[in-house]
Amino acid sequence: MSIEHTHGHDHESHAAHDDHHDHKPTGFLNRWLFTTNHKDIGTLYLVFALLMFFTGGAMAMVIRAELFMPGLQLVEPDFFNQMTTMHALIMVFGAVMPAWVGFANWMIPMMIGAPDMALPRMNNWSFWILPFAFAMLLSTLLMDSGGPAAGWTLYPPLSLQGGQSFAFVVFAVHMMGISSIMGSINVIATILNMRAPGMSLLKMPLFVWTWLITAFLLIAVMPVLAGAVTMLLTDHFFGTSFFNAAGGGDPVMFQHIFWFFGHPEVYIMILPAFGVVSEIIPTFARKPLFGYTAMVYATASIAFLSFIVWAHHMFTVGMPLTGELYFMYATMLIAVPTGVKVFNWVSTMWQGSMTFETPMLFAIGFVVLFTIGGLSGLMLAITAADLQYHDTYFVVAHFHYVLVPGSVFALMAGAYYWLPKWTGHMYSEKWGKIHFWISAISVNILFFPQHYLGLAGMPRRIPDYSTQFADFNMISSIGGFIFGASQLIFVGVILHCVYKSREAASGRVWEGARGLEWILSSPPPYHSFNTPPVIDATTVAHAGEAH
Amino acid sequence: MEKVGRDEIAARRSRAVRTAWVLGAVAALIFITFILSGVLKS
Repeated sequence: MSIEHTHGHDHESHAAHDDHHDHKPTGFLNRWLFTTNHKDIGTLYLVFALLMFFTGGAMAMVIRAELFMPGLQLVEPDFFNQMTTMHALIMVFGAVMPAWVGFANWMIPMMIGAPDMALPRMNNWSFWILPFAFAMLLSTLLMDSGGPAAGWTLYPPLSLQGGQSFAFVVFAVHMMGISSIMGSINVIATILNMRAPGMSLLKMPLFVWTWLITAFLLIAVMPVLAGAVTMLLTDHFFGTSFFNAAGGGDPVMFQHIFWFFGHPEVYIMILPAFGVVSEIIPTFARKPLFGYTAMVYATASIAFLSFIVWAHHMFTVGMPLTGELYFMYATMLIAVPTGVKVFNWVSTMWQGSMTFETPMLFAIGFVVLFTIGGLSGLMLAITAADLQYHDTYFVVAHFHYVLVPGSVFALMAGAYYWLPKWTGHMYSEKWGKIHFWISAISVNILFFPQHYLGLAGMPRRIPDYSTQFADFNMISSIGGFIFGASQLIFVGVILHCVYKSREAASGRVWEGARGLEWILSSPPPYHSFNTPPVIDATTVAHAGEAH
Repeated sequence: MEKVGRDEIAARRSRAVRTAWVLGAVAALIFITFILSGVLKS
């Protein structure tokens, strides 16, 4: 439960750590367009991600409405393909990744006792590139040739058959990549150089650790994606033949390159989720995280393995048996460090004094449902089985379980967990719980039947299907509509918390919360930790670790 | 409570900038090497 909340700002926090003279810039443009403050930039990222979440979500509603019944109902097949492609691009690059960068901006400096990110002006630039990138991407829907329709993987030769708008897509991807790389550089520079005295690496909160590793992943793979789409661009417009088979190029090479980026990308979206859940479960179980050091090494292991398993996405292109066996076993190996994590979360809860506030509900929902997604991933790793599952709805069910009740639930959990800290007000616990339960039930109605559709052979990325798939598609669509609508509750809870809630949050919002962010007032001062905080067992969760 | 002096802050800033340059160079190097390897092969 949350600790005693007052009606008015509390000053229980260590006043010496705070600079209560906020010196916020005056004027809307100065405050938001030119800001170099990590909290403001974090807020910008989070608001942008929420807008993109609903934009991509609206596209998902179009997809599920079309698939509600067999036959072509609402949209042309080409537009349907544009919707599947744009939905994925927007959710991956516009919603989930920026949301995690928003969390990183808000929380990392406060968690390590730093006054701000290491490179504040670059931080501003990293964010403000994004709206232009997505304006450019979305504008393709209004062009004669339409938006990209070859899937988010942009496989040639199909992607090379798109129209002139393809150049906009490639440039948008470049800008998203630049934004991600600059954000990652900032995260690494901050964590390595700005920690408060005494905050050794193995005293850092798990969220900081997971982001540090994620940032290295981003720097390693985003240039690869940028290079690959640059080559697609020259193939399309300048007559080169990197991937164009007609000119001697190799389309399968693109698949290898794309997934060398794409598989680590999956972990880029999920590792920060592991970090958030590792913060929340100990708080509401009122126990220290079980196996902190093992969690750090497990995260690093997952990141390393993510670089050497890419071809499991493309077993069906044909590869030597030894290659198939290698990629199968290497992929299965990821279950070991991931299993360590799930075991440690469960062990942290074991015999804890658990309470079930909204962040904890979303965190437990994450552990259960992400594990389902992980298990179906293991099934897909089996080469022989994958030959049947490939490009079916089984794959769609698998990655949506990992990303929606996985990554997105962790985002929700983190938002509810830190919302009182960010705003200084408590959110409505009642509506938070309603949001969780409707989301948790509907997300399963939405995605679980898709396993059966895939096993029965329904291919992905099609606007029409055989009548034998009708019932499960209708159930899935109903789940989708409920899930989509229930996210409006989330927006309502946030708006109420920011503008209407009268219940002020204390500095240490949650009774079991440990970490430097909780010694600041709620909301924290505009400039925090101008004087570094004391690092000891009373202020950080892992001060007792021997290092 | 340990006060961080101006010299220490300046040193940290320069270390952070150096880290950023190194990481940026690594990212640029990956991009350029990747494109070059594609060009030289074809």
